[in-house]
Amino acid sequence: MLSTTFAALLPDRLPWYLAGPALGLLVVGFFLVTNQPLGASGAYVETYKTVTRKPGAATWRMFYFIGIPIGGFVGVMLKDDGFVRRAGYDALRNELPLGVTALIVLVGAVVMGYGARMAGGCTSGHGICGTAQRSPASWVATCTFMGAAVLMTLFIRIVSGGAI
Amino acid sequence: MKTSTAYRVLGLLFGAGFGFVLAAANLHEYDTIHNMLRLEEFDVFLLMGAAIGTSLPLLWWLEKRNTKTAFAGTLTLSRSKPTRQHVVGGALFGIGWAVSGTCPAPALVMLVSGAGLAIITIVGLFVGLNLRDRQVARLAGTATAADGEHRNLARTS
Repeated sequence: MLSTTFAALLPDRLPWYLAGPALGLLVVGFFLVTNQPLGASGAYVETYKTVTRKPGAATWRMFYFIGIPIGGFVGVMLKDDGFVRRAGYDALRNELPLGVTALIVLVGAVVMGYGARMAGGCTSGHGICGTAQRSPASWVATCTFMGAAVLMTLFIRIVSGGAI
Repeated sequence: MKTSTAYRVLGLLFGAGFGFVLAAANLHEYDTIHNMLRLEEFDVFLLMGAAIGTSLPLLWWLEKRNTKTAFAGTLTLSRSKPTRQHVVGGALFGIGWAVSGTCPAPALVMLVSGAGLAIITIVGLFVGLNLRDRQVARLAGTATAADGEHRNLARTS
């Protein structure tokens, strides 16, 4: 496996008690400057609108969309493993051919996107920003998707005989 | 600096900060999310709890003292009543999340960490979000107003 790294400055996994508050402070900081929640699925929507030149697109959210992989790349490159070219989804590919894995991932992502748009937010929008605003709708959406995801994972585990 | 430029710069910076933390906490890895949803590791639940635990009281306090934001007047939080769409949409989101093992922001980091299949996840997300948008337009309804991100956005493009 080919991997590239700048320097191993970050641990393999920053502990939750540092990463969690860091995310929380980013959310508060963004409210302090723009009075807006920091959500990712909305950024996808506005990126699509900006690229296809739809009227009323919030172009600045495309910049947020672009910022995520830039910061992510820096974070990845500061770890011991760094950038590792691979297919990903190891647990699925150990059990299934690549094409089937790709198809399952695609269907999962379409359902996830559809659901996020219907619910009006995803893990960042409802899960962190909405709950932090003490919005009842966001608490309901967050509890629902957490519960549904745990049940679906259990279902996949049973169907795959514990393999996935 | 024009406000629209400031919004773009801020968007880029906060996006980068968010992506950096996701990568640092390994949230872009399928295994991290999968093990959490299998209830084998509780770090991500604790992480989300700590994120909410930090931002909720701070936002409450800032709202109470009518804090002025830098570019958008007084800080206002939005709170909506739950509807059926929050439940149905949330359930669909959760099912898709369990299958694809990553959510919208970490999928972008997954891709730049070298995992090629993440491109499929990202394309799928765009397709799914658009399907719902088109359906809403066809039914001449309104998109779900929520307090996550799809609320009345600043049109300061």
